[in-house]
Amino acid sequence: MVSIPLEERMRTVRFKVDDRPHIVVNAAVCNNCSVRACVYVCPANLFVPLDDGGILFNYEECFECGTCYIACNQEGAIQWSYPRGGYGVTFREA
Amino acid sequence: MRIAVCLKQVPDPATVEVDPLTAALDTRRLLYIASPADTAALEVALQLAGAEGHVSALCVGPPAADAVLRLALAAGATEARRLWTPFLPLQAPAQTALLLAAWLQRGEAPDLVLCGTRSSDQGSGQLPALLAEFLEWPVVCDVTQITLEGDLARVQRRLDRGAREELEVRLPAVLAVEAGIARLRHASLTGLMRAERAAIPVSELDDLGLEPADLAFPAATTRMVTPPRPRTRPIFTPDSTRPAHERITQIITAGVTRKSGKVLEGPPDQMAEVVVEFLRERGFV
Amino acid sequence: MAFLSKEASLALVQRVHRLIGIKNGSTPHGAPQPRRQRSAPRPGAEHFDVIVVGAGPAGSAAALVAARAGLKVLLLERGEYPGSKNVSGAAFYGSAILNELIPNWWEQAPVERYLTRRVLAFMTAETSVAIDFRTTRFAEPPYNGFSILRPKFDRWFADQAVAAGAFLLNAAVVDEVLWEDDQVVGVRVRRDEGDLRADVVIACDGANSFLAKNAGLQREFHAHEMSLGVKEVLELDEGAIRERFHLHDNDGLAIEYIGAITEEVSGGGFLYTNRDSLSLGVIGQISSLAEHRRRPYELLETFKRHPSVAPLVRGGRVREYSAHVIPEAGWNMLPKLYTGGMLVAGDAAALCFVAGLYLEGINYAIQSGMAAGEAAVAAHQERDFSARSLARYVERLRARHVLTDFASYRHAPGLVNSPRLQNLYPELIAAGAEQVFRVNGGPKRKLLPIALDTLRRANISPVHVLQDAWQAGRSFGW
Repeated sequence: MVSIPLEERMRTVRFKVDDRPHIVVNAAVCNNCSVRACVYVCPANLFVPLDDGGILFNYEECFECGTCYIACNQEGAIQWSYPRGGYGVTFREA
Repeated sequence: MRIAVCLKQVPDPATVEVDPLTAALDTRRLLYIASPADTAALEVALQLAGAEGHVSALCVGPPAADAVLRLALAAGATEARRLWTPFLPLQAPAQTALLLAAWLQRGEAPDLVLCGTRSSDQGSGQLPALLAEFLEWPVVCDVTQITLEGDLARVQRRLDRGAREELEVRLPAVLAVEAGIARLRHASLTGLMRAERAAIPVSELDDLGLEPADLAFPAATTRMVTPPRPRTRPIFTPDSTRPAHERITQIITAGVTRKSGKVLEGPPDQMAEVVVEFLRERGFV
Repeated sequence: MAFLSKEASLALVQRVHRLIGIKNGSTPHGAPQPRRQRSAPRPGAEHFDVIVVGAGPAGSAAALVAARAGLKVLLLERGEYPGSKNVSGAAFYGSAILNELIPNWWEQAPVERYLTRRVLAFMTAETSVAIDFRTTRFAEPPYNGFSILRPKFDRWFADQAVAAGAFLLNAAVVDEVLWEDDQVVGVRVRRDEGDLRADVVIACDGANSFLAKNAGLQREFHAHEMSLGVKEVLELDEGAIRERFHLHDNDGLAIEYIGAITEEVSGGGFLYTNRDSLSLGVIGQISSLAEHRRRPYELLETFKRHPSVAPLVRGGRVREYSAHVIPEAGWNMLPKLYTGGMLVAGDAAALCFVAGLYLEGINYAIQSGMAAGEAAVAAHQERDFSARSLARYVERLRARHVLTDFASYRHAPGLVNSPRLQNLYPELIAAGAEQVFRVNGGPKRKLLPIALDTLRRANISPVHVLQDAWQAGRSFGW
């Protein structure tokens, strides 16, 4: 089947997960954000809105593309860097 | 302190893809890593050796396996050596142990050999014992903690169901550690560059004083045993005449007998007798 | 190619600078960032003639050129291997350019298929109208373009730089450049003892361009200047690919889709044939994705279900999913391309050419990498690494037609992302074509009445169409 759910599609990608996150989301800023672009634009669906108005972010399966911080119009909500050398996503065919 | 660490290159489980139709492994899609228990052993070795110590990293594998040795050099291993022969059969713990033992017996013997307790690919866990056998050294597997006191190693090993055992071992010895006990340090840039520039020496059979014939162990050293299918257990149905909370309690507790162990005491002969009898009763032997 | 005399080339550079509005290396629209905290390298840092950050096509080309000239070159890559974090379509149209560096490169490189067929498809939800170009002339060396898989191609290309003498170091991420006075003199790798010195630092660290931003050469990007591409590699039998796409042995096709393929989101789709797989994906402007609250992977699913795409991908098994950003604003987001001791090349310099008909980046990456490498070599010959000396990078880019391409197409990105071009015109083309081809017993009408009728139904004034035609002419025509 050509159409598959995102979870299954993410399983085709290899991640070497560091024990420290390379992206930090500032919950205080997110609580006051109504746009929440990050929730929609992330190609790996890593941003999950919480009931209390915050945002839950999982860094483990990140493509390191940068879309979230480019879309985030709230200054300083997303502190973004590449993972440490050797960690993160590894494409085999891309 | 001289420590030798044995490392194995294994496929990263995250890259293992099995064709749903043919059940074939897609080898083109594999990426390789150092077996996690082995990198834990490496980190423990670096910590035990300290700044003054000498850690040599060993790996039995083809040229591509140099990558795990470079990883070790980057993290701070003093030297690295790859052992290899095209005569090595696939999945050969005995032959691998023989090559390692042959190398370790040639130069200045280390005080301690560390390795992972089992690799993350085959995971038969045979190597530490075989290596110790060839070296005629003591071996402890499933090690979770090591402290050194002179020529004595105090080790903690993992037993089933959360139990731990504390032992003392006289060095030299082979200690095989669990994967989770240490995380390999992030190498410094200096270390990384040194590792990338290093030429990794290779020893083949000639250098180890071995011949292809030495690798010919009896063919049937392992026997594949298919475990019996577990007996189906009837699903417990609570007594429908009882009130709801009692039925829930019944579901949670009743119909299930807890597994229990038995501790034997007495002279070894008698205890062995009891064990054999136990196994015979259950149909295992 | 023969270079001009020094006077003549200087005059040329000045003319180009006037033409494209460069003053002291700055571009008109990229107002550089305020100066950040600057650190100097720690004592004892190892020295290289050239440090190239990023082993993508730009970085490997720069390292290759510099290493061939005998310089001590360090090529830093943050991934496990070069290409391991790189994603594009990937159609590579720079065969002739790479052939300059490595003659008959396709004989040794991991290429998938040479592209002899290019299709531009205008889509609505149910209809597609396509221009299908095919020529056997692209099937002859040096070929026009190839489909490639980046993790394989980039790794090979970096190996060529290594073979030429460059020192490749993987797993090394660089966060900042190091300064002495107003001169870049090295980089800081995010590891203990991470400082390195270099006479010239060439930043080829990709679309996010963190090093150029860190050095104050690039500003932060707007969400409308960047697009996100999401992509899948679908495994498909080699024979099925040949039959389905009407291909001979190793020739291949590239399809670019415009229109409703991304629904109301500004963007497009692509499909390339590899040897035994297809690469397909959608590209969406980040601001537009956010505005319409569309998830990129849902657009990818919609794309795959489109009636003209579904039969092409049927039976394909997903081998890998990936995503990457694309700098799309072209000329308007070029950074300051150099400063004392530092050059910026490839995607890091936003040298990605995205304008409807064109979807090119790797060729410009290699060209700018070569130009940067040449500039670094020339600077070493004179032992002068000042901004003045490195300004010749711009001259080399001009000689390679890179900057002039971006300058002459500077209006294209705005036009291509306009709502009328994105959705209305594909709709019109499809509706018009349908009227032309539909046979229903009514009178056969001529084309102009059909066109005007279609416009009227879509409620567009012909004046707007003329305006857009003028815009299109200005962007693409003259």
